[in-house]
Order: sequence, then structure tokens, then C-alpha cells
Amino acid sequence: MSAPLGAYEGIVGPAVLRELRLLGEKLTGIRVVHVNSTREGGGVAEILEWMTPIMRELGLNASWEVINGTPRFFEITKAIHNGLQGASVEIPVKGWKTYEDVNARNFRRLRPVLEEADIVFIHDPQPAHLLRLCARRKGKWIWRAHIDISRPFRPVWKVLRSMVEPYDASIFSMAQFAQPLPHPQFLVPPSIDPLSEKNKDLSHAEIDAVRSEYGLDPSRPLLVQISRFDRFKDPVGVVEAYRLVRKIAPVQLVLAGGGATDDPEGKAILDDVMEEAGNDPDIHILLLPPDSHKTVNALQRMATIILQKSTREGFGLTVTEGMWKGKPVIGGDVGGIRLQVVNHHTGFLVNTPEGAAHRIRYLLHHQELIDRMGTTAREFVRENYLLTRHLREYLTLMLVILRDIKANMIEV
Amino acid sequence: MTPFEVKDCALLTRMSGLPPAINLRELRERIAQCGENVLFHHFCETTLRGTFDNPDYRNDFAVWSKLYLGDRVLAERLGILDPYAFPSLGELRAATLEVIDERLGESTMIPWARTGDELFFMEATTVVFDTGIRISHPRELAASIGSMTGGSVYFHFLEARRRPPLGKDDFTAWLLENGDGEKNRPYIEALTRIDFYFHTLAHLRKELIKVLSALEDTK
Repeated sequence: MSAPLGAYEGIVGPAVLRELRLLGEKLTGIRVVHVNSTREGGGVAEILEWMTPIMRELGLNASWEVINGTPRFFEITKAIHNGLQGASVEIPVKGWKTYEDVNARNFRRLRPVLEEADIVFIHDPQPAHLLRLCARRKGKWIWRAHIDISRPFRPVWKVLRSMVEPYDASIFSMAQFAQPLPHPQFLVPPSIDPLSEKNKDLSHAEIDAVRSEYGLDPSRPLLVQISRFDRFKDPVGVVEAYRLVRKIAPVQLVLAGGGATDDPEGKAILDDVMEEAGNDPDIHILLLPPDSHKTVNALQRMATIILQKSTREGFGLTVTEGMWKGKPVIGGDVGGIRLQVVNHHTGFLVNTPEGAAHRIRYLLHHQELIDRMGTTAREFVRENYLLTRHLREYLTLMLVILRDIKANMIEV
Repeated sequence: MTPFEVKDCALLTRMSGLPPAINLRELRERIAQCGENVLFHHFCETTLRGTFDNPDYRNDFAVWSKLYLGDRVLAERLGILDPYAFPSLGELRAATLEVIDERLGESTMIPWARTGDELFFMEATTVVFDTGIRISHPRELAASIGSMTGGSVYFHFLEARRRPPLGKDDFTAWLLENGDGEKNRPYIEALTRIDFYFHTLAHLRKELIKVLSALEDTK
């Protein structure tokens, strides 16, 4: 359950909340419906969990609906998801039929609320077909793509595009993730919730408990990368960078992530990392369950430097989380990491294990820089990547779409 | 005197519909054909956008030239362009194209960026709303600016220059409209002296508070 808006005043200040309340007043009573495909787990559910109640608190008549699907439906939508991210997948005609049938079944249940809504946000591809079914819709429909579809597998995108084109607008997290579409494409980056289990302040005792649990030495520098065991996160490159640093500094490394064992590719990558790590007692490879938010929070807080040495990345919210904990980040020069990590200000962008090692060594020799960059990083996140900014852009978007979607300036 | 109405604004960024630029020639073509709102976004709205305030250059074209075309000469020439110093966006566009043409003439090969490093052309809708806050005397300005959002500072001090009276910030316009000539002159002069374009929004707010507070302290 998310915190009420007032709980964020100490973090973002009263002016930001006043701004949100003023925008909310202009939208009082409008019926907003969010639709996605899961109530729990994943970034979209995390966003809707705080966004829906806060929109209600601001006076909007907001609701969150979840479509139900069969295991086959979710197999197909997983394939669609992978295809949109560039994987070569084959979805047979029968598969698309299942996709449409499940959407149709959900539409029968959701019909009254969708037809009456002033604004409908459809999150990701799973429920995208609902628009075609809702012929008597009154409101504006917006497709929110949370994933990177910059280089999709064309056959999948071709089908999905035909479903998405009739929407009134779409939202992407970054310009680099978008595809040309015949309607306005708005850009709204994601955000973190500073009061969530993963980001809220922890006591020294809580942090120490996690440190003891994993046998980490508080007297030596700690490098932490939090990410799935995925080739694009380059965990093997992180171990290589650690080894280059370890020759001259007594650093420890934590590579923590989850969900690898049921993913054949993830398992192979994990095996590679284990092999690369060998018996080094200062490399800690942690396979965490999906609800280990507090552990991740503690690991990020005890880190000296956060690493995110990805070779391909979406927005990179683990970077945002690390920065919020006042840590400099050494990140791959890709995707959304570039928006967050600025050389010499909030960390360093690197392209190789050697580059990462060089920057780690540089920072370890300049403790004052670690502190200064950490402070800058936290303030940067406070300004740009907390949920209050995210909410402001959604409220602004609703005002724009209800008044004049193509205007340069709107006075409300 | 008529109270100053404090407004706030929020930007909503969207894709312009132009294809991204991958090299300097494409950058030139896109700048030549883009709408003025796109030009304004990449030169002026960078201050308010949710990206790090790059301290080197204030406009996206200069930043891109440095980081992705690897052309520091071009970056320096584009980086010094002050959009508020031009009487219109049309003239800013002409000056920008002139800089690029000059560089294209000097180059033996067209600078290009790697795939994934393209420049995307965007624009924004500004949503403006009344905060209900009023300033009734110039001596309240410094304190009021201290409690404003970044959106308010941007709207009244930077974006205002795009609206009539062109080239003037809202605070100055209010002081001119409501003063008897001499009384508000120190405030107007203090505001005029701020070299605002090269400040980040946070620095601009500090500078505004500093120069306006200094006037109160000398009284």
C-alpha cells in the first residue's frame, strides 16, 4: 500500500505537493481507468499501486483494472514482449487469436467502466486489443509502452502496431524507445517511490543485519551491482573489472539478482559468472527471491560504489535507486543510464571492464568525490525521478489530452 | 500596485515527428525544417527538462555535437548561441544554420554518430496554472522566489521572454507597469544584470534571491 501524498512533503517540499494538488483540482471527478495484466510483480504493477490511490486522493475518479488470462495467453504475450524488444519469435495466427479472445473475454467484464471512462491508460501490449473492441468509448485512450521497442522484430510489431495506431496518444519512457505512430507520442520517464520498501531509509541495525547475513566486511570497500543474471547486464564483465581492481585494493563485490533458475539463458549466464568468480571469498553472488526489496535496499546503502555495467539497458531504475541512496554509479554508456549518470557529476559512463576498473580505482582514491557525487546523485533523483514528477506528468498529460492535444501552451 | 500573480507550469514532452539525425548534414536538414516549438525546446526548455543540467552547454545541439559527433569546435560555436539574444526564433534558426554550414564547409568528412546515438527531435506543451499566490510589493520578491517551484521560476523569468512584452521577464514587466519610474529601477537593473541563459534553474533561483535580497539589505 502506498503512502498518502502528504508523506512525501519532507522529501520533495511543500511547493511540489501544492503543484500536484492544483493540477488535481483541474481534473476533479474525471474517470480514469488504468488497465494492465498483473496486480502483483513487475514495474507496471508497482507504479499503479501508488499512482491509482494518489490520483484518487487528488480528486480524480481513478481505478485500476487487471485483465485475466490463461497460461497460453501469457506465453503468447511473453513472446510479443520479447518480439517487441527485438527477439526473433514466431507467433502463429492461432496465437494471435488466443490473444484477441482473452482480450474479448476481459472486455465483456470491463465494458461498462471502459465505455464510461474519460481517460483510459492501457499499459503494455497485453490489453492493447481492448480499444478495438470498445466501439462505444467516450473518452480518450492512451497506450503506455513501458518497454523499449526501438528495434522490434518487425512481424510482431506490424500486428501490434495495427492495434495501437487508433489510440489517441501513446507514452514512451524515452525518445530512443519510441516507434513512429500516427498520433502524439509523449515522453514520460519512470520513477522510484522513495517511501517504498526498496528505497525508504533504513536504520544502521537493519543494514548491519543484512551485512552480517551475507558475511560482508564493513571495513573494506564494497562494489554492488543489482540486476538479473542477463547477458546484457554484463555480470561477467563486472567480475573482470573487480579482478583488475582487486590487484591493488581490498574490495568486495556483490552481484545480486533474482529469477535466474527458471530461465534457461539466465541459468547459463549464472553458471558463467560462478565460473568466472571461482572460489574468491570476496565475490558474493546472491540469488534473491523477488520480494527481497529490503535486502536490495540495504545492499545499495552499504555499497561504496554502485555498478550497472550494462551493454544494453532500458531506463535502468536500479541506477536511480542507487543514486537515491547517495552513491556514485559506474554504468554502461547505454539507454537510460546516460540520462542519469553524468561523468564527474553523478558517476562515470564506461564501455569496458577496463574502463569500469579505472573509474572504480579513481573513485577509491578520492573519497571526497564519492561523497560529493553521491550527494549530487541524490539531489538529481529528487528533482527528476521521484514519483511526484511522474505523477505531475500524468496529470499534465490528462489536461493536455482533454483540452488540446496539439497545443504548445495551455492555460488551465 | 497590481499584485503579481504567481503562476506555475509543467512541461509535457513529445516526439516532434521528425526522423532522428545521425550526422551533421541531417542535423542541418532537421533544424532547417523543424517547427519553432522544436527549436525552442532544444534551446530553451532544456532548463526544465528531466535531464541532468549539463554544465558545458545549455542547448541540445551543442551537447550532441560534443558527445556524439565528437566535434568540439562545433559544440563550442553552437554552445555560445544565446537564444534569448535573438529577436525571433527564425533568426535563432538562421544563426544556428550559419554555424553548421560554416563547419560543414571546414570539414573534410561529415561528422556522424553511432547507431543508438542519434539526436531525437522533440517539442513540449507547457501547461500553465495559477498558484493563487500573489506578490504585492517588490520587497517580497526574493522570499517569494525562494518558495517557488522550478516551474514558476522558469515560467516567469525565462519562458516569459517569448511572450509580449517580448524579451522581458515577468518580474521586470510587472515592476515597469507598476512603478513610478525611479522606485523600482534598482530591482529592474538587478534583474537585467543576471546572465541567466548559462545558469541552471537551481543556480538561477539562487542568483535571483541573491540580487533581490542584496537590494533589501542596502536599504
